[in-house]
Amino acid sequence: MNTLKRYWWLILLAAIAVYPVIGKPSPYRSGLLIFAGIYIILAVGLDLLMGYTGQISVGHAAFFAVGAYTSGILTAKYGFSPSAAMGVGVVFSATLAFLTGRPVLALKEYYLAMATLAFNEIVVTLIIGFEGLTGGASGLRDIPPFTIFGFSLLNHLHYYYFVWTVVVLVIASALAVVRSPFGRALIAIHSDEQAARSFGVNCAKYKTRAYMLAAVYASIAGSLFAHYMGFIAPDDFGILTSINLLVMLFLGGIGTIFGPALGALFLKLLPEITYQFQDYELLINGIILIVVLVFFPRGLFGIFTALRNKIVPRMGK
Amino acid sequence: MKKLVFSLFVLMIFVALAAAGPAWSKEPIKIGGIFSLTGYLSWLGEYKKKAAELKVEMINQAGGVNGQQLVLISYDDNSSPEQASKVAQRLISKDQVVAMAGTASVPLSGAVASMANRYKIPTIINSGYAVDTSKDPYLFNTSHKTDFAVITAYKVFQKKGIKKLALLMPIGPLGEIGGTAARKYAAEYGVTIVGEEKFDVKAADVTAQLAKIRNMNPQAIFSFVTGEPAALIGRNMDQLSFKVPLLVSHGNANPGFLKLVSNVRTQMLVPSGKVMKPEALPGSDPTKKVIVEFNKKHIAKYKEPANYFSAELADAIDLIAEGLRSSGNTDPVKLRDAIENIKNFVAMQGVYTFTPKDHHGTRPDDMILLTVKAGKWEVPK
Amino acid sequence: MSDISHLVQFLFSGITVGSVYALIAVSLVIVYKVSQLICFAQGEFFVFGALTMTTLVSKGVPVPLAFFLSIIIAMVLGALIQQVLIRPMKNTSVGALIVMTIAISLALRGLALLIWGRESHVLPPFSRGEPIQILGAALQLQILWIVGITAVVLLLIWFFFEKTPAGIAMRACAENPYGASLMGINTQRTTLFAWAWGSGIGALAGMAVAPMLFTQYTSGIMPMVKGFIAMSIGGLGSIVGSVIAGLLLGLVESYTIGLISSKFSDTIVFALLMAVLVFRPNGLFSRS
Repeated sequence: MNTLKRYWWLILLAAIAVYPVIGKPSPYRSGLLIFAGIYIILAVGLDLLMGYTGQISVGHAAFFAVGAYTSGILTAKYGFSPSAAMGVGVVFSATLAFLTGRPVLALKEYYLAMATLAFNEIVVTLIIGFEGLTGGASGLRDIPPFTIFGFSLLNHLHYYYFVWTVVVLVIASALAVVRSPFGRALIAIHSDEQAARSFGVNCAKYKTRAYMLAAVYASIAGSLFAHYMGFIAPDDFGILTSINLLVMLFLGGIGTIFGPALGALFLKLLPEITYQFQDYELLINGIILIVVLVFFPRGLFGIFTALRNKIVPRMGK
Repeated sequence: MKKLVFSLFVLMIFVALAAAGPAWSKEPIKIGGIFSLTGYLSWLGEYKKKAAELKVEMINQAGGVNGQQLVLISYDDNSSPEQASKVAQRLISKDQVVAMAGTASVPLSGAVASMANRYKIPTIINSGYAVDTSKDPYLFNTSHKTDFAVITAYKVFQKKGIKKLALLMPIGPLGEIGGTAARKYAAEYGVTIVGEEKFDVKAADVTAQLAKIRNMNPQAIFSFVTGEPAALIGRNMDQLSFKVPLLVSHGNANPGFLKLVSNVRTQMLVPSGKVMKPEALPGSDPTKKVIVEFNKKHIAKYKEPANYFSAELADAIDLIAEGLRSSGNTDPVKLRDAIENIKNFVAMQGVYTFTPKDHHGTRPDDMILLTVKAGKWEVPK
Repeated sequence: MSDISHLVQFLFSGITVGSVYALIAVSLVIVYKVSQLICFAQGEFFVFGALTMTTLVSKGVPVPLAFFLSIIIAMVLGALIQQVLIRPMKNTSVGALIVMTIAISLALRGLALLIWGRESHVLPPFSRGEPIQILGAALQLQILWIVGITAVVLLLIWFFFEKTPAGIAMRACAENPYGASLMGINTQRTTLFAWAWGSGIGALAGMAVAPMLFTQYTSGIMPMVKGFIAMSIGGLGSIVGSVIAGLLLGLVESYTIGLISSKFSDTIVFALLMAVLVFRPNGLFSRS
């Protein structure tokens, strides 16, 4: 039992590695998990900001867009290498997060949420407005596949492993952040900002850094998205997407890193079951979400902690 | 004894199945449909799906293609490019379709185009997406080109002496395409674009923009927009007593639009395929027969006549079937070549002739300009 | 046409949408004040109100009756949702509750799709007649209805909260739920009423503006977002603030489109919103 407790992550990794090659490899099945993986990266980044630092963002899709469009434009129109373009996207997102973060993160709760929502809308309307550069509302096309050292990742299996390597790295780094002194400062800010400040924590600086980190993850997810779709349009980067991210976080269990990852997986794979209900799909999706929230108010990840506590009873809990 | 009876019973079933006839002996040919059944484009998704299903039924009743039945597998793209891409992949690798049809908007078409080209599945889209064959060799489009709609309208403008046109374009792909086309053909038909305003399709009101346009003294307004916004502009024009005709997109050639403009007095000009007014066609027009027959079956099955969107999909299925017939097999790459070689194929949107450079196949005179009078479609005098 | 008539026209268009934003913002504030919850399902009450009234009117029900019936149906719906889904989850985090309202809005939208289908529906204006010409600009009669209804609603709300025992009790609940319950105020009933009020007013907004637009099952999203924006500009707990902010938002939108740029009007409006939030972190009109 102890080995199970210590090496559960190995089992997970094995599952991830084996998934696409069970049975006949299919671009459809790989594709499902590629999209899910991209949203896991988004959700985990957002969890650092919302779950750990306690700052609400209803506009996270803005950084998703920045990463996607930077990668898309630089590779499709200016022949940049995808890795370089992703790098530029990350720098651009971090800078934007820094510039808007300082003033915006001083706001509280609802007002912060609205400011981030506004920022999301501004980014999307600018993308639509500057159609010469971004393709406007018609979308940006001919985005080449991702290449590493000249090797093209067009094949769905290759791209799946690439994306999920990034996912694993993202989750590992997020966990490392959470356990570091930086992470502890974030949690302190979340529980009581006044107290943290009185202990000498520069709250504004830490909140902005958390915001920048979340933006960087989102940007990476955006770049991966652009190269996979080969085509991007502003429709997928609006407030509805940001709201979906919120749902993923709370559905999975906010502030647990794995919870939001689970939430992302759930929300992205749910339509693959409910599409068969056709006209009833929307209603059924809503009802399923309601039911999950009623029975798991702390999120789906709560199941795992509960199960684990049953299998491996905690000492002195 | 029980086992013997059981085995005999099973044997009987197998014999019955084997003897059930040729319908069971060959695999049906799978065609994928991508329709917007939820999301902001959902109002037109149903028209397309119904027409596609009817056309497949009609082809199957006539014996199918090369002795095989067609099967339409359709999914909802939620009006989202990401979902359209996902659904296209589902059709391609899970359902293994030989061709796809659908997608109601430019971004949706773009997302699916990416997959169609990547996995080499011929796809017939129906939106304002202009197919550039050097980049999208696997794409065909049964929606008339925006250029055709503009040319059709401009010809009528010339006859009526309308020379000054103002543009009220939606922010979005249609607005971008419409504005470009409007300017491209202006000089040729003696039209001057006196100015352009933009509006948000989700706006509740465009009186502000109309007030500015009024200052430009146009003789007509062109807004390349579909659905509610088109009707809203007409209503706002009524409100301002702005008495010039309003030219909108050919996406409005459907019964829903008649309902939307039922109390609008502004003269609405809607470019359309001939499907909307077969009575006005001369007997010599080859498409008339196809339109009338499809319309009859559409009314019988769905209690409403076919509209522009129905024609787009009916033709898409027809073209795929024709490609299957001439290629003789279901290999998607060969199917694409077969479709590209289609010449003089009579369908509803026109007589299709594809070439390696032209994957739209129709011509400007395949369109007519219609107006709405007393809840019905009329040809303007 | 003179420039004055333009400015007046922009004014009318601004007031039209502004009133709708104001009504939605007010409905959001009422629910927030009493439950500390931002209700994401508000857009769906907007749609249900409009579509219910449209269906009733099309079946021959006289307009005033359809009007009040639709409001009542929306209020019942809001109350039901609060009782069945929100109240039992009292002890979960605010975030989870808000996400619950998001899930509810999805379910309601799915229900609207099943009941009313995908097409757009048209509600005839409440009274017939030509638009009134003022200073060269045209004012549709329905706008008078919208403004009138908004004014009446606000008057009723003011009267209710200031002068009736139930309303004062609701305010007490909002300010200090524990203290209020010590005073014998039934906080549960108050919350129920607040939700019913909220959904009723949201539906009202939808019905009042429906004749100027077209309604279909997805029509509720944008008005709700604008309502959120108005609420944040006006200050979360302030009804008066939301009304002024809603009208202001409508006017700013209209004048930006008219005088500056129709292409970037949304960008400008949202940038202004961010600026207001940054420089006046508690809204323009809040008491702190």
